[in-house]
Amino acid sequence: MDAKTITFILNGLTQAAILFLLGSGLTLAFGLMRVINLSHGAFYLLGGYIGYAVWTATGNWYLAVIAGALSIGIFGLIFERLMLSRVRGGDLPETLLTVALSMIIADICLSIWGGHSKSLTTPPEINPLLSIFGVTYPGFRIILMGVAVFIALALWLILYKTKLGSAVRAGVDDRETVSALGVNIDITYMLVFVLSAVLVGIAGVLGGTYLQLSPGSDTTILTYSLVVIILGGMGSLKGAVVSSLILGQLLSFGTAYASQYLMFLLFIPMAIILAIRPQGLFGREA
Amino acid sequence: MSEERLSGNPKEQETVIRDSTLPAKNSNNRKKIPVNLILGGIIVLLLILLPFYAGPYTITTFKRVIYFGFLALSVRYLIGEGGMLSLTQTAFFGVTGYVVGLLGAERGMSFPWAQLIAIGVVLLLALIFGMVAVRTYKIVFLMITLALGQICWAFARQNTSLLHGWSGIHNIEPFSILGIDFTIPANYYWICLALFLIGIYIMWRLVKSPFGLALNGVRESPRRMAALGYPVYWIRLVAFLIAAVYAGIGGILMTYANTMIAPDIIQMSITIWILLTVILGGVDYFWGPIVGVTVVVWLDVFISSMTDRYLTVMGIIFLLIVLFSPNGILGFFDRARQGERFGFFKKIFKQIG
Repeated sequence: MDAKTITFILNGLTQAAILFLLGSGLTLAFGLMRVINLSHGAFYLLGGYIGYAVWTATGNWYLAVIAGALSIGIFGLIFERLMLSRVRGGDLPETLLTVALSMIIADICLSIWGGHSKSLTTPPEINPLLSIFGVTYPGFRIILMGVAVFIALALWLILYKTKLGSAVRAGVDDRETVSALGVNIDITYMLVFVLSAVLVGIAGVLGGTYLQLSPGSDTTILTYSLVVIILGGMGSLKGAVVSSLILGQLLSFGTAYASQYLMFLLFIPMAIILAIRPQGLFGREA
Repeated sequence: MSEERLSGNPKEQETVIRDSTLPAKNSNNRKKIPVNLILGGIIVLLLILLPFYAGPYTITTFKRVIYFGFLALSVRYLIGEGGMLSLTQTAFFGVTGYVVGLLGAERGMSFPWAQLIAIGVVLLLALIFGMVAVRTYKIVFLMITLALGQICWAFARQNTSLLHGWSGIHNIEPFSILGIDFTIPANYYWICLALFLIGIYIMWRLVKSPFGLALNGVRESPRRMAALGYPVYWIRLVAFLIAAVYAGIGGILMTYANTMIAPDIIQMSITIWILLTVILGGVDYFWGPIVGVTVVVWLDVFISSMTDRYLTVMGIIFLLIVLFSPNGILGFFDRARQGERFGFFKKIFKQIG
């Protein structure tokens, strides 16, 4: 393997890290609530912009990550309590609410931060130039992968070792029975929705550092997240890991060799998987 | 099934009217129809005569109503009749525009061919996408169609060699057919209107046809229909193709009206906008999308003349509609007619309290 290929693979892994942060929260929320949060991309954009605002004000990158995560978490909590919980049960109205919300968020972001793309700069102490297999590679991207692995492990622990996790896993399969068994499904919904909002807030700031934030990136990000969870299977953490790894490589090599047809490349694995396994790689049949 | 639709009740009434073999019902219908017909006739007459009494801006806005009206009909047909919330329709809307631009304007292909090929391409694309998406139901269907639509948009944006990326294809001028010059706005408006009326009529027949009823059956219970021997997959696929053609025709009209096509017109905010427009009109009603699109296009004109943040204002309006009147404008009037005059406000107070 030459240096170029190794760089592409590493880029793909970095991309996969971001995709995993985007997809994991969404897939958990969908698996449990049967609601797809179509303002996921708008949350990403808003989180990234808030992080950017904090970063320009204080110059502290870590503070920006925390601010992005917390603000989107709180925003998600408010939205869930005020609106989503009012129309619970009808999955169409719930989805439409998130659609209308994404329209509002994207427009407000445009009015505050304008049409030019913005990005944060990595603090130098976490961005040393590393040498991997003879390729010099920015350390920040390796750290991104580390963050994704850490979050994957944390999610796994939450899902498989806590009470909340067993409620979520059971809720994915049969939410009526779970609520009949005395689990407060309403609170569980809320926690999962907030968790997914926090994850996408973090992804927004990290993505705003690694990539760029601009009007329109919300819909691109939403598409990526949707493809991740369609491919991986709704509600499956393992699926999110595997599909973000596949898509990460696809995006990395696609950008290099077929940038004009990049988005069409995303369609191919999706079509194949849906034709063979409509529920996705690791999804269960509804 | 009714719990997964926005609301079940207006549909039930419709079925009651549909199989109205009772004489009492028939006489009731006979009394009603002339009023509606006269009202409809007046509206159509006013629309036909529009170029004689309205300014060019009004005509342009009505052209907008018509081409988005085709798109709205397409979206409503799938949601209301087939129970399929598709977010790919805007992509089909754009595909025909691109084909007409590529073959008609850039390669100079003459009148019926570029347009027919455009419809053919949209059918082919809808077949491919439909075969992937139609196997799934409800939210999964929505997600897949959204992803497909976004892929089309991103492709149009990224492809610079053929589709010219962001800037799109320009100078797609209307032409003359049989000596009628369609570059004259009034002529173009009339052809759009004529096509729209024909489109509405065909849609009406489709909805009332045996196929339309089978599609309603699939919407209500795919399993039962499959048990009765109906080819559920094919019914849904054909409905998807029909809707794609409606979106495609709208796209052709739009492209000539704007003389250009660019990725902006198929981006997600337009998809959302048209979906919410249909919801605002009332998905359960045949005339819902037409009422919705007329109201929203004019609302757009007024709001955007007042503020730059009109997407925010529209978003808030839609949010309120989904929360408080999920049956849209027509549903609101329907309830008012049934004596539940203040149901809407009561519901708001209940929501707040």
